[in-house]
Amino acid sequence: MTGVHNPSEERLLAYAAGTLSPPEAVVVAAHLAMRPQNEAWVRTLQAVGGRLLDELEPQALAEDALARVMARAETDAGEVLASTPLNDMAGLPEPLRRYALGPWRWLGPGMRARDVHAPRDGDCRVILLEIGPGRETPKHTHGGIELTCVIHGAYATETALFEPGDFEEADGEVLHQPRVVSPDPCLCVVALDGQIQLDGWLGKLMQPFIKL
Amino acid sequence: MHEQISILRPIRTPVIPAGDDFDRLIEAVAMRRDRDAFARLFDHFAPRLKAYLMKAGATAGAAEDFAQDAMLTVWRKAELFDRTKAHAATWIFTIARNRRLDVLRQDARRLPLPEIDLVQDEPEQPDTVVLAAENAARLKAAMARLSPDQIEVLRLAFFQDNPHSEIARRLELPLGTVKSRIRKAMIKLRTLLDDEQGGAA
Repeated sequence: MTGVHNPSEERLLAYAAGTLSPPEAVVVAAHLAMRPQNEAWVRTLQAVGGRLLDELEPQALAEDALARVMARAETDAGEVLASTPLNDMAGLPEPLRRYALGPWRWLGPGMRARDVHAPRDGDCRVILLEIGPGRETPKHTHGGIELTCVIHGAYATETALFEPGDFEEADGEVLHQPRVVSPDPCLCVVALDGQIQLDGWLGKLMQPFIKL
Repeated sequence: MHEQISILRPIRTPVIPAGDDFDRLIEAVAMRRDRDAFARLFDHFAPRLKAYLMKAGATAGAAEDFAQDAMLTVWRKAELFDRTKAHAATWIFTIARNRRLDVLRQDARRLPLPEIDLVQDEPEQPDTVVLAAENAARLKAAMARLSPDQIEVLRLAFFQDNPHSEIARRLELPLGTVKSRIRKAMIKLRTLLDDEQGGAA
């Protein structure tokens, strides 16, 4: 039941390479802020990327490319980065604090969610999901990929226990029913692609009301 | 006579600088806005940055803009460069990686994207300079011991825009095989780096 749950090797690599979709990258970034050893690995992968970049066959630039860059370096003093105010949830990992948050929405007894206004990718977006102690989500499968990182509390699925910093990847083939096992509510950040498909007659009945 | 004097001056050698020479060039830009140093960085990295984005499927024009923008960031952020944390190629790769997310994103809103920060505070160690140099050598040795297949899959994973399905198409392999090949390459890399570390201790 126990054990540390990390993103798969190929997802960490995609994050390091910058090829992960933005909502997925946000959840991975939250995970890395909570797991320094994985963050160190991502930094090592930057060195791998650096070596591979160095070995690329160069592509010639325009004759005046350098002159144009120098001209720009002189004229504008640099992008003025509007420092985004941090949101009101001080307990969130640093990468999530820079995004505005939507209002909490009631999803069912002991269950609520709010949007994280992070970049979307088609239907895929980032939400915070909070589930009360002892509560179960309705049994469900996913329309697409779902990435979850636990921020507070803990939940258990049929096969595993997920605690703060743990990362879960679920796709359309996984049918699961997480149950919160911590004494406090369990808060997760989730990248969600498509709608959750609820299973069973109660689920079908609730489906029209639950919009994540 | 002129030739003798020129010998005494620092000569701009046509030889391609080694890795730590690029570190020095970035430091020269940071310390005194050294344009010659920047020109040499530009000669080496800008054509590779252009190649990098073309590999991801961008047009030559878009890749050219990308390379120029990335090099402008190198000029502006040179003060943040810290060779004890990352060498030049690593640092420039990360600039490109962070910018790539931005270029290829579909969401039009200019919301910040998660960036990798190589210079964030870590527990300071007295011999970090040595460590960074050792790490570079260790990584080079480890990468040399990966199989050609594994290097190829890493290269594709780093450069293709839609890596897994693109790799599968290119190598004519099922998606599952691609994922397991990436996984094996990564695990081998981890093991090699751990072994090197264990061997050195």
